[in-house]
Amino acid sequence: MKLKLNQLVGAFALSLILFACNDSEPEQPLGAYEQGILIMNEGNFGTNDGEVYHLDPSTETLTPIIFEAENFRPFAGLLEDMVPTNDNLYLVANTGKVEIVDAGTFKSVGAVTGDLDQPRSLAVVGSKLFISDYGPYDASYSTPDSYVAVVDGLNGGVVSKKIEVSNKPEDLFAYGKYVFVAGSEEGKVEIIDAEKEEVIKTLEVDGHPAQFFESNGRLWLYSTGSDEVYFQSFHMDNFTKATTNALPVANATGRIAFGNDHVFYLITSTGWPDYKDGVSRVSVLGPELDIDWITGSGFYGIGYDQVRDELYLSNSNGFQGNGSVTVYNEGGTEIRTFEVGRGPSGFLFY
Amino acid sequence: MKDAPIPETGILIWVRFITSIFSSSPSRKTFSLFRSGMILFLWVVSFFGVHPIVQDTVVLAEVEIYAPAIDRFAHGQKLQNWDRSQLETYQGRALADLLQEQSPVFVRQYGAGMLASPSFRGTSAGHTALFWNGLPINSPSLGQSDWSILPVAAFDQVNLQFGNAGALFGNEAIGGSLHLQTKPKFSDGFHFGLTQQFGSFGTFNSYLKGDFSNSNISSSTRVYREYSKNNFPYKDLGQIGTPEVNQDHAEFEQVGLVQDFAWNVTEQSQLKAAIWYNQTNREIQAVMGSISHDLQEDKSFKAVLDYYKFGNRSVWNFKSGLVKDDLLFNGSLSQTSQYFLGTDWDRTLSDVWTIKAGVRFSYIQADLSSYSTSDQRIEAYQSANYQLNDRLSFSLNLRELVYQDQFAPFTPNLGMDWELWKKENQQLIIKSSIGKGFKVPTLNDRFWEPGGNPDLSPEDSWSGEIGLEWNSEGNVNWRNGLTYYRMSVDNWIIWLPQGAVWTPENIKHVSNQGIEYLGEVSGEIFNWKWKGNWSYTWNRAITTQGIGETDPAIGKQLPYTPRHQANAKFTLLKNGISAFLGTFYVGERSITADNPRLMSSYQLFNVGLAYQDFKLKEISVPINFQINNLFNSEYQVLYLRAMPGRSFQFNLSINL
Repeated sequence: MKLKLNQLVGAFALSLILFACNDSEPEQPLGAYEQGILIMNEGNFGTNDGEVYHLDPSTETLTPIIFEAENFRPFAGLLEDMVPTNDNLYLVANTGKVEIVDAGTFKSVGAVTGDLDQPRSLAVVGSKLFISDYGPYDASYSTPDSYVAVVDGLNGGVVSKKIEVSNKPEDLFAYGKYVFVAGSEEGKVEIIDAEKEEVIKTLEVDGHPAQFFESNGRLWLYSTGSDEVYFQSFHMDNFTKATTNALPVANATGRIAFGNDHVFYLITSTGWPDYKDGVSRVSVLGPELDIDWITGSGFYGIGYDQVRDELYLSNSNGFQGNGSVTVYNEGGTEIRTFEVGRGPSGFLFY
Repeated sequence: MKDAPIPETGILIWVRFITSIFSSSPSRKTFSLFRSGMILFLWVVSFFGVHPIVQDTVVLAEVEIYAPAIDRFAHGQKLQNWDRSQLETYQGRALADLLQEQSPVFVRQYGAGMLASPSFRGTSAGHTALFWNGLPINSPSLGQSDWSILPVAAFDQVNLQFGNAGALFGNEAIGGSLHLQTKPKFSDGFHFGLTQQFGSFGTFNSYLKGDFSNSNISSSTRVYREYSKNNFPYKDLGQIGTPEVNQDHAEFEQVGLVQDFAWNVTEQSQLKAAIWYNQTNREIQAVMGSISHDLQEDKSFKAVLDYYKFGNRSVWNFKSGLVKDDLLFNGSLSQTSQYFLGTDWDRTLSDVWTIKAGVRFSYIQADLSSYSTSDQRIEAYQSANYQLNDRLSFSLNLRELVYQDQFAPFTPNLGMDWELWKKENQQLIIKSSIGKGFKVPTLNDRFWEPGGNPDLSPEDSWSGEIGLEWNSEGNVNWRNGLTYYRMSVDNWIIWLPQGAVWTPENIKHVSNQGIEYLGEVSGEIFNWKWKGNWSYTWNRAITTQGIGETDPAIGKQLPYTPRHQANAKFTLLKNGISAFLGTFYVGERSITADNPRLMSSYQLFNVGLAYQDFKLKEISVPINFQINNLFNSEYQVLYLRAMPGRSFQFNLSINL
């Protein structure tokens, strides 16, 4: 999971400024699943056993398979991303659907099931959902028909339009009436006008775009290359590139966690055959650069609890069964390890 | 061996004596009675110098063609057999269904008509060897077979052998082995048959069969087409509200041709050939919650040529074969070809000793989307039967296989059949065996790009079993068999991700043990022949070494390996009318090695009614009606793979 909270807060703050949002609803008590930590378990290919676990970090109480527990049916998909917006939590399954649950109760409120192929992420603008999708594989396992699908309705429905984008779009970021698309394969950022439902600008960027985030009032993009990673920022008035910082972190996977004081944690993996995984601790604005901060194998997802200053690092255990999560303190010392679902790939910190 | 026509009754006793020796030797006498009669005749002449009157003509009975018996050197091993008449109930269905419903094998079905792979005695899909007319036909790249594309209509005999038999059958016979055979006949004249089958969910199957044989030549041709829209309704758990929907992507069509040919070249030699072409086009049923639209086409061509030379209490066999598999998945082609050349010599040395020795050479060529390679294997094997007395016999089998520059583990196997006691109509037999099995890493394991690991060791296994068999004949016939086995499989290969690339390693160690109980009772009441048979299997297959010492799988049951399975069938027969009620039960099984999620058990019932004696002059028109999943049970074999509810099937045949 790409940490959506910063993005959410950022987008929300921006939207307040831009639209001077005034429909302040009365404070509602938070639901059981709107506090603590949600652990996203991708599931195993061909088994569709993706699920969400809930952790209360104060009591260390772990509640497994909360989607199935609350809806009396299996999630039945490979969980790629979790996007909280307003009262909803969007569970994006790359097996071709988006399940929409009430963020507090996890009760199903809707879905997008038709016309999607391999959805990756989602952004909400007004009453529209924008869903990045690899599109179908062709015979050589390429995805030449990637798109961003548009669904009118916060609780899902049918895909009304597919906006063609560069191959393998990943993260989306809603900014005002615009949606930024991380075009991972071709190194592009596409900007979609949510009203016109079309790409209005395409920027060439360094590396393979992985994730957007907001920092210091700016929109940033994290992208990966083979020997370096890139943090690029954008001018939001004319949608041009502003700054690019390259850091010498090799083999980054695109999974990133955002710590306090602008410190970022990046998962790296040499891949087969020398196979070594690691976590690099870096900063764009500060001097942090500890490339082999943690080393090991099987690292799959990463998240940072900014309140408790703890790093959550998940291990897939080879997808043979359930994965596990190890919690580290700020100094990189292991605090505890516990079992979660299959293929734990990300976290959502409320 | 059936009684041969004997020219002179005076030597009948001696002939019987010789026959009894002979029938414990080159097994199931299946060469022409004419010839065997001649052989016996010659023996008699040479032994005793009697000069019987030579008859010009001998009454020709219906005779099968020679094929070495699967169990000839399998003392101590357990076998389950299905012949043509038993297979007929499963016409129109895959072998996977037969084995799931009538044997202790658990068949992992990825949907209706979709990939079906065996788990036998708690082993994985690649641990059951598969033979067609003596050729090993598991895919060399995958190291397993899809049992859903083995149509029952293509075989005349199916034998299931239980447990480690690496020495007897070679590579991959760890959980057991499955033997498919075609059995054309000599001296059976001309026959023609047409069967048309209609079934639920748009099933429309057609079978055409033509046989001709005289005493010298036999030819049998079968053509089939099986088609199903396969649009069965199911509850879609992957959708909000779990609506009932119709499966819209599981259509399949299977066509095939089976040609058998046999020729008695001389009275002492026989040539036998078989060809089987099978092509299956399938829409691959998606897992619930997925919207995949995969298409798969499987084409397989198999050919085998056997030459048998019958000597004095000996049989030489020269065998050559070809197995060519093309698998086209979403436009991506995987091709493998296997060529076999082998010979063995089977000789009855004395009343006590029977031996067999042979060698087989295999050449494999594989061209897949990610790699091309070839592999060569040579294996030598030897078998010996020692018959201590009427009641105690032993088999010793040995095999060594070499592939490329590596030696597979040397595999011995020792087995024993011991008739503990015998009364007039009852007998109690102990069967026991101990042996090794092995599996050469598959070509994908070794050469897949990226990730293939050429340094893998073969998987190897040890197992031992002991079984009791009690048979009783009378007004009511009983058969009961109880087997306990233990097995340990080492160097079990699993694929693990190293980043985005998955690579296989010899990691796991698995310990299995289990109990198999099979029972059968039959009799007759008011002219109704009745028969009941049932089985129960308990199987514990535990990971003893996993990925690292803290692997939560250690000490737990393997995934998709039910601890409990059972089946039962009751059949009634009178004046050509037959009816059956069958049921099978599959216990809980986990979807992963660490067992956090269990799938519920299920039990299904099938019923059938047939009338065989309906005749229009010379033409017989058997009809058959069957209901599968009688109570419309909702079940999944594998997680989120929808399976069909109740279905109907109607067969109409025309036989000349």
